[in-house]
Amino acid sequence: MERKISFPLYATAFIISLIIFLAGVFVGTLLDSASISDISEEISDVSQQVSSVQLLLLMEGNSSTFCPVYFSELSSIDEDVQNFGYRLSYLEEEKGVQDIDLKMQYFVLEAESYLLSEKVKKLCGGQSILLIHFYSNTKCDDCQQQGIEILRARDESNISMRLFSFDGEIGSPVAKAFMDRYNITTYPSIVINGKTYAGYHTADELKAIISGANDS
Amino acid sequence: MDLVMLLNYLIAFFSLFVVNVFILLYIKHKDTYLKPPQKTDWEPTVSVVIPAHNEGKYLEQCIETVLAVDYPKEKLEIIVVDDGSTDNTYEIAKGFKEIQAFKTKNKGKGAAINFGLKKAKGELVATMDADSFLTKNTLRELIPYFEDQKVMAVTPAVKVKASNSWIKELQRIEYLMILFSRKLLSFIDSVPVTPGPFSMFRTKVFDEIGYFDEHNLVEDQEIALRIQSHHYKIRSSMTADVYTEPPDNLRDLLKQRVRWQRGGFRNYWRYKSLIKPEYGDFGMYFVPLNFATITAFFLLLGLMAHSVISTPYYTQYIWFDAFGMSLGFFTFIGMFVIATSILFLWLSVKSFKGEQVKLRYLLSFIVFYWYLMIGYNSLFILKELRRESCTW
Repeated sequence: MERKISFPLYATAFIISLIIFLAGVFVGTLLDSASISDISEEISDVSQQVSSVQLLLLMEGNSSTFCPVYFSELSSIDEDVQNFGYRLSYLEEEKGVQDIDLKMQYFVLEAESYLLSEKVKKLCGGQSILLIHFYSNTKCDDCQQQGIEILRARDESNISMRLFSFDGEIGSPVAKAFMDRYNITTYPSIVINGKTYAGYHTADELKAIISGANDS
Repeated sequence: MDLVMLLNYLIAFFSLFVVNVFILLYIKHKDTYLKPPQKTDWEPTVSVVIPAHNEGKYLEQCIETVLAVDYPKEKLEIIVVDDGSTDNTYEIAKGFKEIQAFKTKNKGKGAAINFGLKKAKGELVATMDADSFLTKNTLRELIPYFEDQKVMAVTPAVKVKASNSWIKELQRIEYLMILFSRKLLSFIDSVPVTPGPFSMFRTKVFDEIGYFDEHNLVEDQEIALRIQSHHYKIRSSMTADVYTEPPDNLRDLLKQRVRWQRGGFRNYWRYKSLIKPEYGDFGMYFVPLNFATITAFFLLLGLMAHSVISTPYYTQYIWFDAFGMSLGFFTFIGMFVIATSILFLWLSVKSFKGEQVKLRYLLSFIVFYWYLMIGYNSLFILKELRRESCTW
């Protein structure tokens, strides 16, 4: 029996599969763009909320009358900021979607929110810990695990914590300013209530630092 | 792009490609694939060899369906070989005066078939499981394929009777899909099996290529690969109905499938030398496809395990958002792969107009078949690695 190889069949199947594959890529890319644009709009909304609280602080000067309002607003802002952070990490780590502009926009919001938290803490007191994680996706092997350790430390301790994180290697002026402010020279580095801790720290080490920070 | 993503894309593309080859074959032959070859007046002598080991439950019905087939009785020879049964198999066979019954020591199915084949005098010979049943037209639909002198074997439409058993209905759908695939593969001369429930051969082929391998786990596949290796044709019929009794519980089903997988893998490995251009589509597409499929399956399992293990800690806080965001392009490619697979399943079932399949069983098949595959493929690898023995 003369046997042949059906090249046209396989070539056609290959082309059709490629078209379907690319259609999947196209539809998916549209959805990823929609996700990014959603997060960007939500960041703008929360940014406005931060500005409103800052305005109220400016208007009221050193009066602590509005502290309950500040706490309540900060709590809602904090929740949103962290949610954006998780979503951005998910897009970046799990899906390989990198959007530097969005990340910079997010860092501005984080910076605004951090400075607001600092002011409110100074004015109204409170036990809340302010923790900043400086990381790099390109120059640091431990940074991803450090992020997990920080979340574990937060979840396992009963102390209220506000978390902020900055990627120091994407050229964000805000991240740069914060790094200068806290003298950050290595990744990962952590700032807890204004004090810098360079290098990797486990959840247990962090819990010990945090409980010490609150006692002092 | 990291390695995990690259592997995901490769597997998705490979799956799309394989299903598209089948769909294209269907499109090319859709007007003719259901039609048997032109019927002729040729009525060769036919021997039917039925090996049986403790088949007292079904043998009587099996023989009756062979006797009832539309074919001249003087040209039909029925040989039952009792492979050392401990039940009443031999007595049942002896009860039919139209058939020849033999009793041998228990040496396995392959040996029993060979015993029967050596007794067979027909120009064509069929091997048949004792728990399978012919329909009136089976032989008349199969014989015309042998008009082509290069055809050495023809496979019928082996089906499972409709029932209310969930596990049997799942297998019924699977059999229809296998049958449809086999028909499409016959268009590129790549039929890889002559099914045990019933297959017909030109008797002289055994003198040339040898008899069934008596030590093979899936001897019905090995003989087909051997026929392919000798450049002969195997054809597949969509209209010669044969019904078979599938396992009715998960344990027996797994046992059967693990044997198929182990035997199948060993056979393809044994015939890996067929991967040559001189074997046409069979050598350059079908045989490599089997190795690629098993590799892709285990890679996919690994990737799934990896995605579960490596799910970031923070996902617990945004599981709903993560679900929404995961609808990225890989999900869409995955959905297209699933959609084309479902299209193929639908084409398979709709090809058999007399076979009504309930929607709930079709949905169950789509949802559970994958898990069944994971089960028997994992067991197959485990048993192969542990070199456990396996019998029919």
